[in-house]
Amino acid sequence: MAAYFIRRFLYAIFTFFGITVATFVLIHSVPGDPVTFYIGRAGIASIPKGTVERIRREYHLDQPLPVQYLYWLRGAVTLDFGRSVIDRRPVTERILEKLPNTLQLNLIAFALAAVIGIPIGLWSATRSGRPIERASAVFFFLLYSLPSFWVALLLMEVFSVRLGILPLFGMSSDQYTDIGAAARFTDRLRHLVLPVLTLMYAQLAIFARFSKSALTEVIRQDFITTARAKGAGERAVMWHHALRNALIPLITLLGLTIPYLISGSVIVEQIFQWDGVGLLYYDAILARDYPTVMGLTVATALITLFASVLSDVLYVFADPRVRLGEAGT
Amino acid sequence: MKRLCIALVLCLACGREQPTKSTVQSPAIPADDSPRDGGTLIRRLDADIITLNPVIISSRYDSYVANYLFTPMIHIDRNLRPMPGLAKSWDISDDGRLYRFNLNPKATFADGTPVRASDVLYTLRKIVDPATEAVQIVGSFELLDLTRTRVIDDHTIEIAFREPLATQLLRFNELWVVPEHIYSKGEFRNDFNARAVGSGAYKLVRREVGKEVVLERRSDYWGERPHIQTVVFKIINDHNTAWNALKRKEIDEALIASDTWFREHNDPVLARYIDFRRFYTLNYSYIAWNGRNPLLGDKRVRRALAMCIPTDAVINDLYHGTARAMSGQFTPDEWAYNPTVPVIRYDPEGAKAILTSLGWTDKDGDGVLEKGNRTFEFDLLALSGSATGKQLVQMVQAEMKKVGIKVDVVILDGATAIQRVLNGNYEAAYLGWDLDPDPDPFALFHSSQFPPHGQNFVYYASAEADRLIDAARRELDQSKRKDLYWKLHEVLSQDQPYTWVVQASAKWGINKRVRGVETSPGYGLFLWYPGELGWWLATAPQR
Repeated sequence: MAAYFIRRFLYAIFTFFGITVATFVLIHSVPGDPVTFYIGRAGIASIPKGTVERIRREYHLDQPLPVQYLYWLRGAVTLDFGRSVIDRRPVTERILEKLPNTLQLNLIAFALAAVIGIPIGLWSATRSGRPIERASAVFFFLLYSLPSFWVALLLMEVFSVRLGILPLFGMSSDQYTDIGAAARFTDRLRHLVLPVLTLMYAQLAIFARFSKSALTEVIRQDFITTARAKGAGERAVMWHHALRNALIPLITLLGLTIPYLISGSVIVEQIFQWDGVGLLYYDAILARDYPTVMGLTVATALITLFASVLSDVLYVFADPRVRLGEAGT
Repeated sequence: MKRLCIALVLCLACGREQPTKSTVQSPAIPADDSPRDGGTLIRRLDADIITLNPVIISSRYDSYVANYLFTPMIHIDRNLRPMPGLAKSWDISDDGRLYRFNLNPKATFADGTPVRASDVLYTLRKIVDPATEAVQIVGSFELLDLTRTRVIDDHTIEIAFREPLATQLLRFNELWVVPEHIYSKGEFRNDFNARAVGSGAYKLVRREVGKEVVLERRSDYWGERPHIQTVVFKIINDHNTAWNALKRKEIDEALIASDTWFREHNDPVLARYIDFRRFYTLNYSYIAWNGRNPLLGDKRVRRALAMCIPTDAVINDLYHGTARAMSGQFTPDEWAYNPTVPVIRYDPEGAKAILTSLGWTDKDGDGVLEKGNRTFEFDLLALSGSATGKQLVQMVQAEMKKVGIKVDVVILDGATAIQRVLNGNYEAAYLGWDLDPDPDPFALFHSSQFPPHGQNFVYYASAEADRLIDAARRELDQSKRKDLYWKLHEVLSQDQPYTWVVQASAKWGINKRVRGVETSPGYGLFLWYPGELGWWLATAPQR
């Protein structure tokens, strides 16, 4: 078992370097660089040659790519990702300022989608093939295919513009700094409702359909028939025998979904003016802000790896075969 | 400095206007036209500001905020002419190289200290110091001669330049003086992005990254005091969200996207409290022809191509009549504009006749013209992110196909496109320019300005244009300068280094409680004097 975890962990480190190298090469091979960003802003004629060379030197753009990567790596191991090309603030500071906002938004949406979606999936699995289950399947496919910017604008139109019961945009009201902790909490909740709804509905549909199909697969297996034959109640069959075996694909889904916690909310952040990393990522790529792009990549990579290690651990608990298999080697 | 403007092309997508319009005066607000002091104006920023340091300013939004916090050396008035700002008067030597400014002796910074000539010198030094990376402003002072620039006394400074330049005086509008005793303590490039001490009518209350910037009127302001007590800039990136906020009276002004404008500006309920404005600013869109390309290097070919642009259809179908045709480099609101130069008419048959006379015919009947073993085909580059831009290049592509020209549309993101264009690695490109208040097009069309160190990326070289541009740059007599530019307008129109497409109007919505709102022909609502500093609020915010 220990060997299993060590191997997984080493994989994770290897993957991490793979991601950073790949991103580094990719972003540098896109035409344009931070200097083009300045030129686009100000016009090349107005930039003295000395300034251009200074900027190139500062970002080591005059060095070969592998050397640039080593420079970057040297900073990265001490969590120094350099300064942003856009506003010259330290990248770490810029990301840490906005990352909690994005995580807050996405974690709530993710948790709600799972808590509501999985039970719906179980419910549908027990009614597989009946008209009501068919209807719910169609409904969830429709839900999944709605474009999120459209849903966001619709929710905004109804709840903020027409009814006026929820705030239009932003993370807090104007008087936020002057109110008590309880009022702040309510204020933040009110601001969260629409962005969370927008982020949640597609995930909800995925969770509902995915858990349904996982469970349906399990129900067809012989051991369920055995359980029923030995007289176990329907509830016990579902919760005790079936669900546990349906957990494996759900854990895989979890591992695949977590990375979206950082990058999945660009559109929602833009529309609702949620001050998160989505917009930061987008602007950084357009401006060829290499240090910020790399900093955010590391954050995303870390979360992805965390997700993959987490699902590996959960597999162990969900499926004895993983444990036994490892012990046998 | 002229900007290769990605943001602009996005603005163009939002479209912009004509002076004819009739909004019904609101019956909801009493006709109270005497300026009143106080109140909170809530403005919208399309993107967060990058810095509050006026020397390293790098976006339009930075300027919007800085214009409240700092008083420029000279203001420009509604018609883009210089008027006193921080300097109450000035003299220019006969050879045009020495500028002597007399600062307003009453001028103080927000910390109460007087503005001294030494602060002006300090700011100039910072602007031209390469370590500052003042990329936006340094070009306006590239001829500055620091060795001969000197402080005469506390309120007088003599600023020297290596060469006379007719446009130099207006460039002092970009000089926002910072107090040396504050900005010299700390790291200039990094320590003054979030705080500011200026000589403007307002002072900074707070900046909350990603949310807002709050300014308050200075009680000790030395110049003419503005009416509005508090100015809040709310950051709203999304146009739809901003429009909803304007509708809900949560903000007082916002740029309105074209589609929203056409859908909503005739709504009688909205017209009761929103003033819909359209106006032209100094910008245009154009197709750049790479002059080094053997095909496009011939001005007769470029003229034929210009005759394939369906300008009327572009204006009516893409911009719903809210854009106007361009005859050349200068826009109708500029004094340099020569009204006798005609717009090139859409005439595909005429274009075909020109190309036939140059030996281009469709010998193999495949619908594409050939000459020898070459086919008439080129790439037309356009920026992603602009829906209107994409539609436009598709229209051009369809029109040219009728004439027998194969156009391959290449859509690229801003940074990639700029790099390709500045490296001369393109054939034709659909782009936009934001122009300076002074019409000098030296950087764009003078033969000394080829890339990599200039912006003449169409590689246009004309002895006559060079002569006119050089003469107009040195000519300090305005009426003689005008004659030179009128001639240049004609020359450029004939040579077609660009094919000028349209000037699109800006569209704005302003809550009617905001009064005293005027537009400048060319500068629109902001950054001229008094401009936004002359506004006042009729009633308390309605929520």
